[in-house]
Amino acid sequence: MAASGNTTAAAPQDEKGAGGGLDIPEERRALAKAHAALLAETAARIAVELPMSADVDDFRRVLAAEAKP
Amino acid sequence: MTDLAGLSARALAEAIRARKISSVEATREAVKRLIACHELTGCIVSLEADAALDGARAADTAIAAGGAAGPLAGVPLAHKDMFDREGRIASWGANIRADRPAARDASVIAALAEAGALQIAALHLTEFAYGPTGHNYVLGHARNPWDPARITGGSSSGTAAAVAYGAIPFGLGSDTGGSLRLPAACCGIASIKTTWGRVSRAGAMPLAPALDTIGALARHVEDLALALGCLAGPDPRDPAALPVPVPDYVARLADPVRGLRVGIDEKVVSEAHPEVQRMVDEVAGILTGLGLERRACAIPDWQTLDHLVQLVQLPDASAAHAAFLRTRPQDYGPQVRARVEVGHFVGAVDHLTALRARGTWLQRTLDVTFRDADIVILPVLADPLPSIAELDVGGGPKVQAAMGRVVKFTRPINYLGLPALTLPVPRKGGLPNGVQLVGRPFAEAQLLAVGHAYQREVPPEIAKPSMQGEIGR
Repeated sequence: MAASGNTTAAAPQDEKGAGGGLDIPEERRALAKAHAALLAETAARIAVELPMSADVDDFRRVLAAEAKP
Repeated sequence: MTDLAGLSARALAEAIRARKISSVEATREAVKRLIACHELTGCIVSLEADAALDGARAADTAIAAGGAAGPLAGVPLAHKDMFDREGRIASWGANIRADRPAARDASVIAALAEAGALQIAALHLTEFAYGPTGHNYVLGHARNPWDPARITGGSSSGTAAAVAYGAIPFGLGSDTGGSLRLPAACCGIASIKTTWGRVSRAGAMPLAPALDTIGALARHVEDLALALGCLAGPDPRDPAALPVPVPDYVARLADPVRGLRVGIDEKVVSEAHPEVQRMVDEVAGILTGLGLERRACAIPDWQTLDHLVQLVQLPDASAAHAAFLRTRPQDYGPQVRARVEVGHFVGAVDHLTALRARGTWLQRTLDVTFRDADIVILPVLADPLPSIAELDVGGGPKVQAAMGRVVKFTRPINYLGLPALTLPVPRKGGLPNGVQLVGRPFAEAQLLAVGHAYQREVPPEIAKPSMQGEIGR
């Protein structure tokens, strides 16, 4: 079992992680990661403000509440 | 001879019904103008003149027999080539497309056919509708009918060019980050980006379903009302199409606009080019002349909204393209390939955080921004109409920044799901541009009434290619 785990762990991070297996030149990969990292900072800040009960369906609920005959 | 190019669809339908002109004549003229427009702008993907003329003959026959009562009976239209049509394969503006013909029409195509409209062509779009400028590295770049060296805006580029040129009175497009508003502004026409869930997307090519909306582009705001009346409403084929009552949009064009509050967030608008700020101010002045009241308002943190919409859009689009990106990456143009790749690096938790926060941010916008305003006026483009050359960045290192600047004022509205009417600014002999009026959810009728009143002061124009080189210098 341990041998199998080592084989997986030895693979480069990008081969198994984000964008794994995609044919992306290094320069574009670096730019993509940098852009995602910038957005991740915003996501982290927003996550702190959100109540745990926040739900992806809240958006539809707010829209539906606005519907008037 | 009636000047068909200048007629609204509503007026043309009335003339055809009254047999002042035949549908065959109208269709022949539309095809002729569309071919001329294509030579200038590259707007056509596929021309379907023979089939449309067969439909026109049938419409004329039905009208002569007292039938064909649909509000668009015999009216020639053309649409962005991203909608399913039975037995056909839409191009999606790409080398990669569906692998088999559609089994049935997209719901919006079926709705227009039910209203009696004809389709004379499928029109240019940016590859997979994933680009705000009209650049398409697969089909070729679309060119602006006012000045072919300028962008049409995208992704509904061909529809905007054809409408501006007077080949068709209106056509369908989609908007995920600005794709109805940007081409309308660039080509000097109007468009309606609908509330998310107002119009079915069934049978439309998905880009980022959490944000995708379907709408129309037209010279006359009354045609947007006519179109929306045909398109809006729930659809069992699209569970996101909300069961919200559909008003009579054409009747509501006559709603009084006096006393409505038009809000301006000066801080947000100040991020546009000074010339664009002047345009927003000028249109706000025209609206106050119509009796609207100008108010200051505040939109909650535009920069954060811009990041939140990207956290939704990038992985949503990448997920839709995941199979093609792995199996046929070489068949993408450089720009779309580069943009589709980025979404793979946005974390799942970050994506879900943006989706979970969406209701909160919409509610906050309604509570804060729309407390002081009924509609909000914003730029569409951040800058005066750019050239094709200056935004020809391909998939290179400038792509995120360049495209981000183009959609700066449009894509945050998609995160909020709000409706937005684009109106052309007074051109005064220069290049076209536009502003957007943003409303509360499902307030399209109110926006259209304001736009209809605005067009009494700023009438629709047809692009005049003879003016190439004489404007905007």
